[in-house]
Parts: sequence; C-alpha cells; structure tokens
Amino acid sequence: MNTKIEELVKAIEEWLSPDNYRLKEAIDKTVNEGLSSFEDIKYQILTLKKTLKKGEFTRWVESLNVDRLNPEERLTVLCLHAGNLPLVGIQDILAVVLSSHSYLGKLSRKDPYLSETLLEILKKRDLLDGKWAVNLEELAGGKVKADALLFSGSTESVEPVIDALTSYDLADSATPKLVRTAHYSLALIDNDRPETFRQLANAVLRYGGSGCRSVAMVIAPFGLKSKKCEFTDYVEEFWLRNPQHKKPAPSLYYRHAYNSATGVEQSWLVDFMIEETDLQPTEPFILHWIEGDRETLNELPQKYRRGLQTIYVTDPDIELPAGLPAPEMLSDAQQPPIWWRPDGVDPLKWLRKLNCSQDC
Amino acid sequence: MTIDPKQLSLSIFDSTQSFIEKARSLFKFQVGSNPVYGRFAKHFIPSGELPESVDEIPLLPIRVFKECDLIADGFRAKLTFKSSGTGNMERSRHHVADLELYRRSILSEFSNHFNSTDYTLLCYAPGYSDNSDSSLLWMLQYLVELDEKGLSRFLPLHQPLIQSDIDEAVQHDRKIILFGAAFGLLDLLDLDSEGLPDGSQIVETGGMKTRRREMSKSELRSRLSEGFGVPQQHVHSEYGMCELMSQLYAIGSEWFDSPEWVHTSVRDPNDPERMCSPGEEGKVAIIDLANMYSCPFILTEDRGVMNEEGQIAILGRWHSAALRGCNFLIDRD
Repeated sequence: MNTKIEELVKAIEEWLSPDNYRLKEAIDKTVNEGLSSFEDIKYQILTLKKTLKKGEFTRWVESLNVDRLNPEERLTVLCLHAGNLPLVGIQDILAVVLSSHSYLGKLSRKDPYLSETLLEILKKRDLLDGKWAVNLEELAGGKVKADALLFSGSTESVEPVIDALTSYDLADSATPKLVRTAHYSLALIDNDRPETFRQLANAVLRYGGSGCRSVAMVIAPFGLKSKKCEFTDYVEEFWLRNPQHKKPAPSLYYRHAYNSATGVEQSWLVDFMIEETDLQPTEPFILHWIEGDRETLNELPQKYRRGLQTIYVTDPDIELPAGLPAPEMLSDAQQPPIWWRPDGVDPLKWLRKLNCSQDC
Repeated sequence: MTIDPKQLSLSIFDSTQSFIEKARSLFKFQVGSNPVYGRFAKHFIPSGELPESVDEIPLLPIRVFKECDLIADGFRAKLTFKSSGTGNMERSRHHVADLELYRRSILSEFSNHFNSTDYTLLCYAPGYSDNSDSSLLWMLQYLVELDEKGLSRFLPLHQPLIQSDIDEAVQHDRKIILFGAAFGLLDLLDLDSEGLPDGSQIVETGGMKTRRREMSKSELRSRLSEGFGVPQQHVHSEYGMCELMSQLYAIGSEWFDSPEWVHTSVRDPNDPERMCSPGEEGKVAIIDLANMYSCPFILTEDRGVMNEEGQIAILGRWHSAALRGCNFLIDRD
C-alpha cells in the first residue's frame, strides 16, 4: 500500500506543480467561462497542496484497519461529481484510486476542466483505470455498467438520478449507492475575537456558501443585533479579497422583505443574508444566527440532524453532548483533511466493503 | 380617500368591477390596516403607490399564517381556523373577522358549479363538532345546513355507504354529491360501499399523501370513478386550505378554475415576481379577495402548473431542501 500512496503523492505533486500548464489552462478556462472565481480555485488548490500529503493518505488508509486494500474483484465505480465548488469530487476520485476499483466519472458541467487534469495524470501513471465525460450519453457509449455509485444530492434527487442512469443503462435501482445528503454545517462559537469572526466569515462565505461543509447556522453567546455591525466588517473584508462569484436568486430579497415584515432580526448584505432564526437551513446564501451555547446544541442537531454535516467549534477542549459527531475546528471548515467523512461515511471504507467477503 | 371596509367587502363579489380594480382597493386597505403586509409590500411598491397590474402585487409567503396573527386593525376574530398538523408541527392560524364573507364565498363558487337545490350532499368526513379548527368541515357543515329538505348530512365514519343511505338521499328527485377527502373516499370503497346512482357527482378535497401511498390524480380519479360507478367527468376536485376563504374546483378534470374574485398564477420559486409560462412548474400564487381581513395576497408552498387556458393543476408540495449543498442535479447540472 505504501508504494501506491507514494505513487499517488508523486502524481499529485506533478498535478499541482507550477509547471503543470494543463492545470493552468483549466483554471483559466474555468474562470473565463464564469464557472468559478479565480480566488475560490486558488484557495482550493492551496488547500489541496496542504492536505494531499503522504502522511494524510497513510492515515486515511490505516484508519480502515485492513491488511490490504486491493479488492477481491475489481468493480466499476460511477462517480457523479457535483459542481457547486471547484474540485469538490476529488475525494471520491482518490478513494477509487486507493481502493483499486475502476473509475467511471460524470464530470460536472459547472466544473468540467479542473478534475480532468488530475484524472489524466492518474491515468498516465497507471493509477486509475476508467473513463469520464461531462455527458451521460458519452459515458454510456462504452457499454460499461457501474457496479457501485457515489454521489451527493438531496433525498428528493435520488429517484430522478437513478431513473436517468437507468435510461442510459449505466446503473439501476439495485446498484449499491453511497448518497450523501448533508447540506449544511453548524458552528458553535464562544467569543467575538477578530480571528473567530474571520474564520466564521470564511466558513460561511467561501464558495458562496455552497457545499455541505459551509456554515449555514451559527450558535453564538450573543445575539445578532449586538454584533451585526462588527461581523459585517469581517464579511466585507472577506469579500474585498474574495468577491462573491455566485449571486443569490431574487427570492433572497423576498425573504428579506418577509423578515422585515415579521420582525425577524436580520442583516441584509445584498449577496447574502444573516437572519436570527432557528429554521432548518435549506436555502443558499443565508446564515442562521442563534443566540445560545453548548446547551443549545442539545436541541438543535436532534431537530435538524437530517442534513447536518459537521459541527465546528472554536474551543478545542469543548465536549459536545453525547450522540453528536466529534467536532472539528472552525478554522478547518473549508480546509478538510482528505479523510473527512461526508455525511459521516468514509467513501474509502464504503468502497472497501463493497465486495469484501471477510472482516471488512 | 378613506376606505369603508363594509363597502369594500361587498365589492368583492361585484362582477361589474374589474379584478384589478378590486385588488388595488384591497391592496390599499391591506397596506393601511395590516402592519405585516404593509411592511412587506413597501419593499416592492413605494409607499402611497398602487400596483399597476395583478402581477405586480407582492405576495406574502404562506408561512406567515404560522408565524403571525393576521387580522386587519380594528377587527376581531369571530372564528379561527387551524391547519391540520401532528405533534409539534406548527399549524397555520387563520382568524376570520367576517363569517358572512366566508359563507358568501363558499356558496357563490359551489353554486357556480352545482345547483344546490338539485342535490343531496353526503359528506364522508368527521363532523364539524369533532374538529372545530377545520375550515373544510365548517364549509361542509354550512352546505349541509343550507339543504332545506334536510337530506344532506355527514355519513358515519368507518361504515360503508349502504343502499338505504342512497335511497334516502335521492328522495324528491334529488341527485347525490359525495364529498370527502381523497383517502376517506378510498376508505369508503374499501368498506364495500354501494355504487352511486346515475347523475351522482363526487368531489374529493385532496389530502392523499397523509394516509395512503402516493397516488397520481388520474389514478385517484379512475379509482373513484370505477369504484362508485360514476363517469370520470362527474369526479371533481376541490382545492382549499385553512389560509384561504375561497375554494377552487376542478370540474371533471385535474385543472382548477378560479372564482371571479380569485386570481391564481404559478410563480418562479427563485423569483416570485416572475410568472411561469404555461407548462412551467412553480409555486402556486393565489390572490383571494375574500381574505380581505387577513391577507389576500399569498404565495403558497404548493407545486403547480398552469395551462394555456389559465387553469392550474396542483402537483404536490414544493420541496426546497435540495437548494443547498453539493447537489448533483441531473437536470440542471
């Protein structure tokens, strides 16, 4: 396994090297076509440079507690990549590589170029076997049917996705699938220090707040009214460096008008909104602010467990109420380690278990 | 000019006035007497101005009935309807200041489709006394009480419709209208009820998902038609809710017509000011002038579609939970 990790690290070094003109071209195309902002791509690439290290891969593999990762039978894993933020599907790609299955990738129309540059290098170095395309039609052309399926989406999207894959004979309802439905994260902060507000702004606003690791709900020891001016300064500071690429739909203004009408405390930021409500976060570009503390968590996650990805904290020693996942530091919200678990499930572990007949 | 609410309420059913004329008067009344709507509307229409067209009228999201007590200044609730709900689910509250307005709305649209003197109404639903929060049961009770012959009634629950029920209902050359929630009418069939005689009509009031597996409207209509031996063109739907004083009927089809004092449209959920084109799904928007004392301008959470004739079909609830997160959306990706 060590050799494979070493080979993988070399491939990633080649991919992220300043001489990789294919990646530079892909970044330019992505930016020029308005698919992502340069700042968001740069941030993601810097994060990957920091997190895709040998020690991190080793830790990921060792966490499985298995002697070998090679499957008893090589399966074809179809990855449907979301394009909400740049390179969001990279963990699935690397999990397929490490588990030595074959890869079938439906790249996102919103992020079609960046992942491809990594896939090409992995294929050239014989670390990955498979094909990828933006269109399902193209993917279906090879007469390959998936043995397993990885994707992220809402519960409501599962059925239409399976129907579409069935119509292309790429998969069917019996195909084992790992569907990640988490759509927001929560932060529990205990202070109003500049560093905390800076981290919170990044956790909330990075990638326009897309992605399940983005904070959509914050529990703070103070109400929104007392801190909104101060926090807004940090929002503006963030936006000066990272202009928001994605813009909200006009329905956000509608919600702002509704909040005004019904007396909900809010901060209207035009491209984003903060409101003091404990409603389940379902809509983008909204941060729900709740005055509370650790005890508030006792009620909230039970109420909103469905859809919650991660709880971030500012105090490394805090103990969360029983039954909740281990917290992560707020500073890591947008810089996850490669072994993070979307929806609480490690994709590598899931792939390993797919066709493993013993002790998996 | 000061608005006289009594005059305004009388004008609602006045067909000599255009809808926009009446809606503008109600808009003015609402802005002046409903602080919640007034604050909402000023985000879209500057103070003192009136909407130019029906499309311009700002529509308040329906959850306002869960979060606020809406009643025009200076009026008090004679009755409060509540939406159905279980456990800790928040329920809508609709305070009714003018029951006469509700009666008139119910009867006008019902009579528009059915000649009430020709029919006996058989309601398969709990009686109003069993659930005094329900606007539907209040409406049925009212229609039952209107029957001068006294033949209309609530059927006993969990018992089949038997021949003697039918014989009693069809006295004096009456025909039957069987009224009930979709699941209730299917339950009635499962109880081996008798078929209905020629000329009978069925009106289902929705509520399919609460008790049975999801069933399409056309499947439901077929089941009711076959089960009760009534032609499909005599199987109708009623669309109403606690938040509305008026009802819409779909006569012999799945497409709902609006009463003269109601305007329906389908709106883009991402931009509720934009009307969807015929065939395009969106959220159902309703302007119900009979809601003058609560709020007549409402954006529902129902998913609907409009046809070229301006009729709407209700397709279920609008799910918004898919909007956040790393979603793979096969259609829009």
